Amino acid sequence: MDIIKDIFNLFGLETKLFIAQIVNFAILLFILKKFLYKPIAQMLEERRNKIKQGLEDAENAHKTLLDADTQKIAILKTAKNDADKILENVKVTSETLKQQSAQDAKKQAAEIIETAKKQAKDEFDKATKQVGAISIDLSKKIVSKVLSEIFTDEEKTAVLSKAIDKIESAGYEKTTN
Amino acid sequence: MSLAPNILFHIGTFPVTNTLVTTLVVDAIIIALVVAFRAGLSLYPKKLQNVLEMMYEYFYDSTKDVSSKVAIIYPWVITFFLFIVIANLIGQFPGFETIRFFAAGSGEEGVPLFRTATSDLNVTAAFAVISIFMCHFYSIKHTGVKNYIGRFISFKMFPIFMFVGLLEFIGEFTKVISLACRLFGNLFAGETVMSTVSSMCAFGVPLPFMMLELMVAVIQAIVFAMLTMAFMSIMTDNH
Repeated sequence: MDIIKDIFNLFGLETKLFIAQIVNFAILLFILKKFLYKPIAQMLEERRNKIKQGLEDAENAHKTLLDADTQKIAILKTAKNDADKILENVKVTSETLKQQSAQDAKKQAAEIIETAKKQAKDEFDKATKQVGAISIDLSKKIVSKVLSEIFTDEEKTAVLSKAIDKIESAGYEKTTN
Repeated sequence: MSLAPNILFHIGTFPVTNTLVTTLVVDAIIIALVVAFRAGLSLYPKKLQNVLEMMYEYFYDSTKDVSSKVAIIYPWVITFFLFIVIANLIGQFPGFETIRFFAAGSGEEGVPLFRTATSDLNVTAAFAVISIFMCHFYSIKHTGVKNYIGRFISFKMFPIFMFVGLLEFIGEFTKVISLACRLFGNLFAGETVMSTVSSMCAFGVPLPFMMLELMVAVIQAIVFAMLTMAFMSIMTDNH
């Protein structure tokens, strides 16, 4: 026991100092736990959450951007298809209209030509009839004048009637005088 | 240089030694660090917060790697490290031990007012006892009394495990002695070497020894903290 006591004395081991150091450490641990480790842990957790949130937001933004790009491409594709369809329709419609217009124009031209022909024919017939009538009158006058010198009035009338009949049978109508 | 710390004065029957004064200075420095940390606490850390967070994360992650009981172990590990490293490092300041205190019966030269706290066996022994005592406390709390006693007394493969248990039992005491004496021995030896070299040649020559002592100061703090972590991890995990 004396040896142990000597060793304790040599190293200055003192129960009171030993207990004081234990108490000191316990107080220090309490202070550090409450005022250092806890705030650090909270701060690290908060920072970790913030970084995680930031990364998630960035990831979401990236996804949204990709979606928007995909949507943009799809919309552009649809728009291009629609535009192509519209152009195709316009082409078909214009071609149809063009053909229809050409047909209408041809039809109208044919009608105009037909009408003109008919009018010309009518005019020709009318002119022919008028010329015929004039010819009959003229012939009648010539024959009457010639016959009046050769035949009597009765013979003249008979010859004249016969001549008029022959002229008429040739297709010319008698005029009113 | 004596192995025992110098008694400066008494408060009643309580002896106030120079290592105790240094312990209080270390406490004050740590509390000042905590106050400064809390004053500048921000989501975007600056210098001091960065250092403390780095230290916290290093020990927290190291504890997490070896034990599932990280929440109960890491405060002890960091506190041991923080106290010991600061106590060791302030002892390396030039002129630290040259401030004299003239206590009754200390003669004309007086005694150093400050002395490295960890060069006092009272401090290192107290830390070692706390460390090992808490290992056993957490072992009982987290593994149960039966498992705890099973570490030391086992009738399996009699008498082999009985003997292993006995060795374990003795090992717990040697753990305390090794933890206390390693830290005390390293720091006291360092101080003795520095004191001897400085008295031989005060300029230039002590520099390599100062470098070595700075390394020893940090390494010993890490060793103490890591051993505490290992012991607590072993004791709180089921066998």
